[in-house]
Amino acid sequence: MSAAPLLALRRIAKSFAGVRALRGVDFELHAGEVHALLGENGAGKSTLIKVITGAHQPDTGEITVAGQPVSELTPASAQALGIACIYQQPALFPDLTVAENIALRLESLGALGRVRWSARRTRAAELLARVGATISPDAEVRSLSMPEQQLVEIACALGAGARIVIMDEPTASLTQKEQHLLFSVVRDLRKNGVGVIYISHRLEEIFALADRVTVLRDGESVGTHPVADMSEGALIRYMVGREVAQIYPPAESAPGEVALALRAVGCASSGVRDISLEVRAGEIFGLAGLVGAGRTELARVLFGLTPADTGEVLLRGQPVALRSPQDAIAHGIAYVPEDRRRHGVVLDLPIAHNMTMAIHRRLFPTTWLRFGAERSLALDYIRDLAVKCSSPDAPGGSLSGGNQQKVSLARWLATKPRVLILDEPTQGVDVGAKSEIHKIIRGLAKDGLAVLLISSDLPEVLGMSDRLGVMRGGTLTAIFPAGTDAHTVMAAALGQAEKGAA
Amino acid sequence: MSHVTPAPGNSRPWKARLLSHEMLLLYVLLAEWLFFYFAGTTTNRRGVVVGFGTWDRQFDILRHSCEIGLLALALTPVIITAGIDLSVGSLLGLSAILFGQLWHDAGLPIPLAIAFTLVLGALAGGLNALLITTLRLPPLIVTLGTYSLFRGLAEAITRGSVTYTDFPESFLFFGQERWLGLPTQAWIFFAVAAAVWLLMHRTTFGRSFRAIGLAPEGARYAGLPVGRRVALVYVLAGLIAALAAIIYTARLGQAKADAGTGYELFAITAVVLGGTSIFGGTGSVHGTLLGVAAIAVLKNGLACLPVVMRMNAAEEMSGLLTGALLLLALTAGVLPKMLSKLRPRRHAPAV
Repeated sequence: MSAAPLLALRRIAKSFAGVRALRGVDFELHAGEVHALLGENGAGKSTLIKVITGAHQPDTGEITVAGQPVSELTPASAQALGIACIYQQPALFPDLTVAENIALRLESLGALGRVRWSARRTRAAELLARVGATISPDAEVRSLSMPEQQLVEIACALGAGARIVIMDEPTASLTQKEQHLLFSVVRDLRKNGVGVIYISHRLEEIFALADRVTVLRDGESVGTHPVADMSEGALIRYMVGREVAQIYPPAESAPGEVALALRAVGCASSGVRDISLEVRAGEIFGLAGLVGAGRTELARVLFGLTPADTGEVLLRGQPVALRSPQDAIAHGIAYVPEDRRRHGVVLDLPIAHNMTMAIHRRLFPTTWLRFGAERSLALDYIRDLAVKCSSPDAPGGSLSGGNQQKVSLARWLATKPRVLILDEPTQGVDVGAKSEIHKIIRGLAKDGLAVLLISSDLPEVLGMSDRLGVMRGGTLTAIFPAGTDAHTVMAAALGQAEKGAA
Repeated sequence: MSHVTPAPGNSRPWKARLLSHEMLLLYVLLAEWLFFYFAGTTTNRRGVVVGFGTWDRQFDILRHSCEIGLLALALTPVIITAGIDLSVGSLLGLSAILFGQLWHDAGLPIPLAIAFTLVLGALAGGLNALLITTLRLPPLIVTLGTYSLFRGLAEAITRGSVTYTDFPESFLFFGQERWLGLPTQAWIFFAVAAAVWLLMHRTTFGRSFRAIGLAPEGARYAGLPVGRRVALVYVLAGLIAALAAIIYTARLGQAKADAGTGYELFAITAVVLGGTSIFGGTGSVHGTLLGVAAIAVLKNGLACLPVVMRMNAAEEMSGLLTGALLLLALTAGVLPKMLSKLRPRRHAPAV
């Protein structure tokens, strides 16, 4: 390998509103190398990619491309330096042809803005041939399969003279056969001296394709190794191998009766199938798994947003039909959604309105608003949950992420639920608010609430849960007792279950 | 350990209140009114005061504002849910014809005919609601369709020629007389305004409309019955449009198929001028009332200006100035935001 790496990152750090997404990442990519980037959800992979493509400016650290220090990387300058990113979902215009899509990325305006169709087609055909694709330049992108669209993206990258190609989970939606096609294209790229950064959760792909692997953990790079020197077990250890940095509030109560029971619940339209589990009053049942494993989808089924079409849901032993959120609320189920800016809090409405939104019927039985009652309820929750705000009339959007989450939580606590589903309750929340939210959750369980805690933050879900289920591919693959080690859970989430102690 | 700074009563500072959209519109309305009072009032040869500054003229403005005012009241909840209803003007025409038919052809007594017309108006609104909520079609397209459908039906029923007239005096009282000093229909208008104001600002319905307008998905996640609430605003719009048709018929003493043509656009203008966001979520009923008043005063005041009278261009001038006023109001709403966006960039510290 040549002396000057194609891309070198030194001590890259980046924070968002006080949350440190990257704490110090070192990364090196050589020409003719496939370099895998590995890390659990939230380890900082996406942020790192955005730094490399110029979408985010790092707070500190330096970037060198082919030996030249780069002071300020913007999306345009990254492209000029030959950096291209192939996303999981290709960003092409479905109604234009392949040649037109390629032209949109690569062509500059000719004299008088005239389109030279033949040159455009020839160039597209040439580039497609280089990635080994047998796609007609005249095909509409709409008619292409997902891997074909990815090939078009790669062709665009090559046409732009990309020397560094980033592939973000390119195989997530591909069949086995399509994967092999993609792999051979990646190998070709390597042969031609392109450096490929390859991101994937599938360990077997990394072993099949990559030359070296860098593991990210909590926003730091914890080491780069030749893939040949690694085993799957060792990689998982690297991904999770942290000391428990945070103290989680201990369980204080013995779980009571079964509050929520699922028997072979499935929903074809959202890809959830055959899920059976029980959550007791006073118990925190954690749900771990990779992004896309079907955990949020399960929550949406339980909350009636996408009703189940098979199986049975029992609440305190009684089978219930959950056809809509209103049904779910009436049966004492509350759901604090993952995307709080779109679903959890209406940003333009005052905090008080947000907090009472799910209890209109109870708080205002005549539909007549009672401002006094609303205000005192809001003030109670603001005090109990320590929401930092200027007044209950301040709009939800004026709060920080953690405080918005508390408002979202207050809305659902106000419904006096028996079952509380929390979906990524501490995502994008700063460390202080995070541990406050943990204490609140533990307190709620102590008061007899059955809590279903969905979290991609492995230490959190390990530290908080009384029992822990792991989902993969839309179904529950394992249930572990409290105190299970991170390695076992991660292995189950990655589908290496035979090594887990299930 | 409360983090709330105590805020006695309503926490909005008085400065923000004085500069709210509604207050600004009130100043504009007052300025308009004073201008026309001084420029549009004259004494004729016989020494009688004529023009804008007479009670008769003021009552006339009120009388002529009621129908468009009612439609604007109907549209306020619709627009706050981020919807639109273009069919209200056509529905006014259809309802007028149906009312005439029920009374004249079917021989129903006036009160019963009114009741049936209101029910039919609500049903027509229900058709909009059905198409929008169950088929999930965009309100703009659905009501563009019913806009043509309702007007076409009205014309088909009358074959473009029948006009219902000779209504009894007792009915015309609602449109042409005064009661307790004000034009009769003004009382109906004020009553509906009060009802819609209470619905929007004092009940959980208004709350849900706003939430739906701001974040339809968020409202669903909060367990609000989004479909039912959206349906309600269109049914209500149909009902109020039918009421406007009754008043229209009573004012002119005749029901014909082209009643209310183009009223929907005046009504939308009044709502938006009144500070309701066309994207939904924000707005108020009192703002809408001010918007209606600002347009009505402008239109009638211009007709009283000697210079406009000489040119015989009241219609053209009022269209022009209403448009200008609307654009001004919209820009005034966006301008502060744009300025505040520009400012931090200019003063951004070099990193």
